[in-house]
Amino acid sequence: MRRKLASAILILVALCALFAPAIAPFDYDRQFRESPHAAAGGQFLMGTDNLGRDRFSRLVYATRISIVLAPAAAAVSVLLALMLSRFSSLTTLCLSLPWIFLFIIMRALLPLDTGPFASILLTFALMGVAGWAWPARIFNASIRQIRQSGWLLQARASGMPSRRIALIHVWPHLRAIAVAQFRVLVPAYILSEASLGLIGLGVAEPLPSWGNLLAELQRPQAVSANPWILAPLGLLMLVMICLEEVSA
Amino acid sequence: MNNALEFRISASYGKTEVLHSVAGTIAPGEIVALAGLSGSGKSTLALALLRLLHYRGGSVTGSITVEGRELTGLSESAMRSVRGKLIGYVPQSPGTALNERLKVRTLLEETWSAHAEGAGSFGALLESVQLPGDQVFLNKRAGELSTGQGQRLLIAFGIMHKPAVLLADEPTSALDVITQAAVLKLFAELNQKNGTAMLFISHDLLSVASISHRVDILHEGKIVESGPPGKIFSAPEHPFTRSLVDAMPRRMD
Repeated sequence: MRRKLASAILILVALCALFAPAIAPFDYDRQFRESPHAAAGGQFLMGTDNLGRDRFSRLVYATRISIVLAPAAAAVSVLLALMLSRFSSLTTLCLSLPWIFLFIIMRALLPLDTGPFASILLTFALMGVAGWAWPARIFNASIRQIRQSGWLLQARASGMPSRRIALIHVWPHLRAIAVAQFRVLVPAYILSEASLGLIGLGVAEPLPSWGNLLAELQRPQAVSANPWILAPLGLLMLVMICLEEVSA
Repeated sequence: MNNALEFRISASYGKTEVLHSVAGTIAPGEIVALAGLSGSGKSTLALALLRLLHYRGGSVTGSITVEGRELTGLSESAMRSVRGKLIGYVPQSPGTALNERLKVRTLLEETWSAHAEGAGSFGALLESVQLPGDQVFLNKRAGELSTGQGQRLLIAFGIMHKPAVLLADEPTSALDVITQAAVLKLFAELNQKNGTAMLFISHDLLSVASISHRVDILHEGKIVESGPPGKIFSAPEHPFTRSLVDAMPRRMD
């Protein structure tokens, strides 16, 4: 029952993201200069931010960015992990790298006029590339186990060609691990983007993402004035819980 | 006429030699039992004959001939056409030797297409190993089979392409005594029906002797005695063979 409810919520959120232009009353970057910090209600369902932008519209568009690109980054990580898992020294090296500092350096190296769309792609591409080593370690251990398996030896003793063994025998095992890793990485990347956005390293303004919307939480007095500022955090937590429930 | 199998090999894991110039011949239609203690190198010998030992970290030197064809110089791709076609293999445990995720049908089709074109027909094959050939059975996953069914399926894979020689590596060790007797009978029937030469590897001297024409005793990586089962049981010569025969269960009365 809880699983069904979680799936229904995720589908609803995904539909909102998909039909963002139809659902959001305004563009995410439209400024109502005469109405900064507007209270919730009336024209603005969740009020406006300090630049007079409609919070609800920005949340709808932010959902689109966060929940589309996190799975894409997770897919990149899993694919890289599959391809590179045999290089265990490289995996160990990548696991030992201080990625958050590398993120800061890489973002600092980018020109100041990097466009918002470039920043989206860059953020999630970097996450995808940075995150391959964890699943690679698991693939590596699984492949070692598969190499020693009796069924692989039996398949070889039957004279099956290597490509058929890989496709028919080995891939179903790796696919199950890949799906499990993908499920783990999607929520991790949504949270990572949110964390990066909070410290200004995520998706660049004016594009909204859950991360940069959460940056508003740095002003506690604003939260007491308009509790809807917590909406991105609430939605993030809701999606995380639902993803956990669905993948459990 | 060439022997079905002829070999003289040494095998090592790293610097440790586990088979010391082990030699043997199996005539067409002959069943040779290879008996010895656990760890004496029996399974190593089976993998070495299939030239699969490198997948377990071992290496082999010497000569292996099947129907007069020397295997030791063959490339890996050439060996693929030998495995399953000239040399069949029945491994020890269906629990580990069958990929539990795959359906019986898939396993049969893949084993078939390794050496044959077109769609295989498995009814007669399954019947010969006393397995049902219906859709329900074919659609079962390997993990759903009983140990006895799994072992029979492995035997079906081993004999599918009518190999010149069948290597059976402890194929009854995971079975209860009744299923064990049925599987031994099955091997004997397959030998009589198809004339398949067999190397039957086991630590259970008594059971393998019941179907074999000759027994080789493997001890510490060497064949220390070889002869017909009657002679091995009645007049063992080597001290290890004597201890093996003396250790066999006897009736208490």
